[in-house]
Amino acid sequence: MSSFNKIKPPVLSNLSGGLHPINQVKDFLLSILKEFGFNEVDGPEIESEEFNFDMLNIKKSHPARQMHDTFYVQNKTNVLRTHTSPVQIRSMLNSKPPFAFTSAGKVYRKDDDATHLPMFHQVEGIYVDQEVNFAQLKDLIHKIIYAIFGEEVHIRFRPSYFPFTEPSAEVDILSENGKWLEILGCGIVNPIVLDNCKIDSSKYSGLAFGLGVERIAMLKYEVNDIRDFYKSNLDFLSQFK
Amino acid sequence: MKVAYKHLINFIPSKPSLEDISKKFSQLGHEHEINNNIFDMELTPNRGDCLSIKGLLRDLAVFYDITTLGELYNDDINQLRLDFINKAPKICPHISFLKIDIEGQVAPYSGLLKDYFDDLEINKNNFFTDVSNYISYETGQPTHCYDAQKISNTFSLEIIKGSHFFETLLNKKIELKDKNLVFVQDNNIINLAGVMGGSSTACNSKTKSVIIECAYFNPENIIGQSIKYDIKSDAAHKFERGVDPLCHENVLRRFIKIVKDHATIKNVEIFKKDYQDFKPDLVSFNIKLLNNILGTSLSEKKLKEYLLKLDFTFIDNKIIAPSHRSDIKTPNDIAEEIARVIGYDNIKSQKFIIPKLLDEQQDYKSLVNNISNFLTKHGFFEVINNPFINYETDNAIKVDNPLDSNKKYIRTNVEKSLTENLLYNERRQKDSIKLFEISDLYFYQNEEVKNKKMIGIICSGRVGNNHIDFSKKIDKSYLKNLLNEEYPEIHFNPVIVDREKLDTKLKNQIIYLEIELDYFKNHSSKYISEPKKSLNKSNFIKYVPISSFPSSYRDLSFAVKEKDKYYELQELLINFKHNLIKDIFVFDFFHNEAKDEIKIGFRLVFQSQSSTITESEVSNIINQIIDKALSISSVEIPGLIR
Repeated sequence: MSSFNKIKPPVLSNLSGGLHPINQVKDFLLSILKEFGFNEVDGPEIESEEFNFDMLNIKKSHPARQMHDTFYVQNKTNVLRTHTSPVQIRSMLNSKPPFAFTSAGKVYRKDDDATHLPMFHQVEGIYVDQEVNFAQLKDLIHKIIYAIFGEEVHIRFRPSYFPFTEPSAEVDILSENGKWLEILGCGIVNPIVLDNCKIDSSKYSGLAFGLGVERIAMLKYEVNDIRDFYKSNLDFLSQFK
Repeated sequence: MKVAYKHLINFIPSKPSLEDISKKFSQLGHEHEINNNIFDMELTPNRGDCLSIKGLLRDLAVFYDITTLGELYNDDINQLRLDFINKAPKICPHISFLKIDIEGQVAPYSGLLKDYFDDLEINKNNFFTDVSNYISYETGQPTHCYDAQKISNTFSLEIIKGSHFFETLLNKKIELKDKNLVFVQDNNIINLAGVMGGSSTACNSKTKSVIIECAYFNPENIIGQSIKYDIKSDAAHKFERGVDPLCHENVLRRFIKIVKDHATIKNVEIFKKDYQDFKPDLVSFNIKLLNNILGTSLSEKKLKEYLLKLDFTFIDNKIIAPSHRSDIKTPNDIAEEIARVIGYDNIKSQKFIIPKLLDEQQDYKSLVNNISNFLTKHGFFEVINNPFINYETDNAIKVDNPLDSNKKYIRTNVEKSLTENLLYNERRQKDSIKLFEISDLYFYQNEEVKNKKMIGIICSGRVGNNHIDFSKKIDKSYLKNLLNEEYPEIHFNPVIVDREKLDTKLKNQIIYLEIELDYFKNHSSKYISEPKKSLNKSNFIKYVPISSFPSSYRDLSFAVKEKDKYYELQELLINFKHNLIKDIFVFDFFHNEAKDEIKIGFRLVFQSQSSTITESEVSNIINQIIDKALSISSVEIPGLIR
C-alpha cells in the first residue's frame, strides 16, 4: 500500500468568496439592534416627496429638497430616497405603539467626491412608546456605540438639527489621535412627525437614530477612501472574506 | 462663517480663553474649527440668528456676562420721503430705508470696523459697502447700499415672472428665470432681493449719498436663489435662515454711528414700514412635559433661569420666544434649549430596555442569506454598484437631475454593471473572476413604477485556484451545475456575454445569469446555510491598501517520494513569509502510484506596494524557496537546471 494514501494537498489560501464589506457591516449593525429589540422593516428606494420629506417635517423650502441635493425622477414627482426614514414612516402608519423598527439600505444624495457618494447605506432605528425621553435615548446610544466600538470608547453628545427630531444630537467618539469623530445622529422624535403618522403625540413619544454604514465601515476596517468600497476590485473585496 | 476670537471677547469682560469659548460653542451645538484664533463656524440651518457676533454672544450669555454691543446713533432721525411700492408685502412684511449724505473725506477705518477687515483679512470695497458688510457681521442683518444718485424716487419690490436679464454689482450677468423677487426701477431690475444688488445702482468710492435698504424677507422665498444663479451671497445665506424682523431700527442706528465715526454726516433720513404686525411665538410653559422630554427633574425656577439667559420671556404660563428665534415653536424646541444650556453630556442617562415586541421575519432576509452564503462558499464575491447608467432601455426610469450625462437613467438589470466589474478585474490580471450582486431594480410597467429584487451572477476564467479547479474553465454548465446543487428543481439558463461588444481582447467565456429572487421562493433549497462568520466589535480585519502595481507569478513543481518529507515541504511553503508574496496556492497535485511519488505544484503571486516588482526580486525569493526545498531529502524539482 502506498505511503501517500489519503494524503491531501495543504490549503494555503482561503478560496471562498465573500459578502460585500458594506453589507457585512450593515448586517453587523442590524444584528446589534435586533439584540436590543428592534424589528427590521423594508421599503422602496423610489419614494414620494410626501414620505421622504413632508411626513418627516422637512418643509418645501428645506435646502435638502432642492434639485442640487436630491435626485428627482418621474418628472419631479418622486425622489430617490435620501434616507431610510420613509420606510419607518410607512411602518408607523401601519402600527400602533409600542414599536421598535430598524430600516436599512441604499440611500441617494446628489454628491460625488472623495468623501461623498451619490449612493450610500444607512441604518436607522425608531422606538415609540409612552414616556420615551432623551435620558433613555442616551442610554441606548451608549449601548449601541459600545457594541460597535467597545466599552472603552469615549462618547460625547452635541446639539444638532434634524427636522424630524427635537431635541436632536450628533454623537462623536474620541479617536486614538485625540480627534472627535462623528458616528451617528439621533434625537427625540418630533411630535409633528408622530402626528403626521396618526400617532397621538400627547400620549406617545419616541426616540430615533441613524448611522452611516460606510462611515462605520471606514472606521472599523481603517479604509480611508469611501470610493474603494465600490470599485469592485477583487484585491480589495478579498480582504473582507 | 468666520468669527475672530478677539472680536467676541471685546464684549466679554471675563476674557475667557479661546479653548474655553470653543468648549462652550460645542456644548451649545455650534460646530467649528479654529485657525489662527479665528472660529470657522458651521452652524446648523435652524440657527440663522447666530450668524453674527451679536448672535453668538446672545448664546454665550448663558455662560458669561456680556457687555452691550456697539454704540448706537441716538439723535432723532427725520422721515425719508420715498416713493417705494411694496408689491410683495407677504414676502417682505418689514422693510426700512435709510438715506445718509456725507461730505468730505472718509477717515481711515478705526475701531471695530478696522479690526474686522484686518483680522479677517477681508478685501475692502467702498466705504458704504464696507460698513454694510461689517454691520452684517456684527448684527446678523444684511443691508444693501444703493447710490442715492442712481435711485429715482419711485421704485418697487415685486415678483416678476419669465426671463429677464440682470447684472449684479459684481458685474456678473445672469438670466432670471421663472419667478423672482426683485427691486425694480423704471422697468429695470436693480436688485435680486435678498441675494445681491445690481451694478446699475451700486455704490462706488465716490458715493456721498446712499440709500441703505434693511429688510426682512420670508426665508422660503430666498432659499435656493443663490445656488440657482450661482451667486455667492452672505446676505442670501442669512435671509434663507431667517433674520430678526424687529432689528431694523437698531441696525440702522448702528450703521449711522459707524458712518459718523468715519465721516461728516450732512443729513440722515429714515423710511420704515411694517406691512404686518410681528406676532411672537408662544409656547406653553409645561414643566412636567419639559422634564418628560428630557428625562430630567428640573424645578420651575431652574427652567426659567435657563430660558431667561437666552432672552425668552414669560407671560401667563406661556413662554415667549425672542424675535430672533424663529425656530422656536414647540415644547420640544424649548426642551432642546434647556438641554443645550445644561449640556447634553450633563444629562444623566436613564437605564432603558425595549420591551419584547413582536418579531416579524422579513420575507427575503433568509433567502438572500442562503444564496449569498452558498455563492461565497464557492468563491463568489458580492459587489454593490450604483444604479445610474447612461443608456435608455424601454422601461428605464429617467433621473430628472442626473449628476452628469453618463448617469441619466436607473438600471433595469445588473448585467452591465457586473460586466464592467468583471472587465475591471480582468485588466488587473485576475484569471478567476466570480461576482454576484443582489439589488432592487426599478422600472416602468404600464406607466407605473414597479420593482423587483434581482440577483445577477457573472463569472469567467478558471473555476478556482485549487488543484481540482485550476485547469477547468468556467462555462455555462459550470454555473448551471453549481446552482443546481443548491436548487435542484430550478432550470437555470445562464448566457454567454458577447465579448465582441466589449473592450477586451481575452477569449474566456463570460457567463451571466440574472434571476428574480421571487423565483427562488417556491423552490426548496438543498443547501443548508452554515452560520456565516458574523462580525463582532473586535473581529474586524485591518484593511491593507491594495497595490496599484502589477503582480507577477511563478509556478514551482516538486516531486516527493517520502511522506514525512512531503509534510516537511508543505510546512516550508506554509511558513515561508515574504512581504512581496501576495498569495500562494496549490494548483497541481498528483499521486503517481507507479512511482509512489507525489507531484505538487505551487503558484506564488508576487506584488509590491511601492513599485513594479522586478525579475531579480522574484528570482531571489524563488531561489530561497528552492534552496530550502532541495535541502529536504527526496524532494526534487523535475527539469530544474540551475
